[in-house]
Amino acid sequence: MIADTDHELVAKAVSAQDTTAFGDLIRRHQSHVRNFLRKLSGDYALADDLAQDCFMRAWDKLSSFSGRGSFIGWMLKIAYTTFLQSKRKSKRYAEILESAGQVTVQESGNHTAPVHELNDLDRLLAVLDEEERAIIVMSYACGLSHREIGDATNMPVGTVKSIIFRGKEKIRTHFEIEDHQYG
Amino acid sequence: MKSKIINMAEKIKDAQDRMLEALLATPPVADDGFSRRIVRRLQRRLWVRRLTLPVAAIIGGAIAFKPLTGLVSMLANLSVLLPKDIVTATTGSIPQLQVVVLGAILLLVFLLGMRFLED
Repeated sequence: MIADTDHELVAKAVSAQDTTAFGDLIRRHQSHVRNFLRKLSGDYALADDLAQDCFMRAWDKLSSFSGRGSFIGWMLKIAYTTFLQSKRKSKRYAEILESAGQVTVQESGNHTAPVHELNDLDRLLAVLDEEERAIIVMSYACGLSHREIGDATNMPVGTVKSIIFRGKEKIRTHFEIEDHQYG
Repeated sequence: MKSKIINMAEKIKDAQDRMLEALLATPPVADDGFSRRIVRRLQRRLWVRRLTLPVAAIIGGAIAFKPLTGLVSMLANLSVLLPKDIVTATTGSIPQLQVVVLGAILLLVFLLGMRFLED
């Protein structure tokens, strides 16, 4: 049996409110979305919660999927927005606590493991700011094209390219990597 | 042509690109019931949405029933004040209370049935 394409599954899910078709889409893409959010947040439990919210939102917005780009590109756009919103919320929460004179809670970005437990990947991503991290992960971990990343982050392709370049430069200088060391 | 050149340029990877790809490559996350949980949540939400309108209609009807009967009986009492000719002329056309209630229930059942058929 030939599996339905993403676009066919979306059409089924939208036209007949078919949760089974949407379930197939989730099964197909959950790994990418969860990995993306795990790398962005550095917190597995938080990332999985955000991934759930992200798929629920995707269901609500499914009829707005134009089908021009890839489904995973569209999903990562929602995932990125969900992540930014949660980050903003936790920041606001921390500010409220601070203004109330309480000890501030850690921001979501600080849920990462202690420094001595960080692996190479965590160290590498820690060098980058949030935007660079998201774009580098979309490009190198999820394999999105620059155009798809542009669509996902609402940025022109040129900006995406320059952010990737900047991120790579940061990694290069921070870890003092010479060109010949890559091989 | 231009887009082809751009695509090619995008595909040309240097050593750092390959290093990043290798470093960021992570094994796929096992589903472990993740998708099933979301689908269940969605199905529950769909059912809640489907039931909201009919349940609201039934609750609204139940709440409105008593004041409505009061209103009908009040109107019936008011008919005493009307000239006899008018009362006798309209008595035939004013339906009885039981008939009104029965009609309302039938209408409600019909609407519910239509909604379920639509779904």
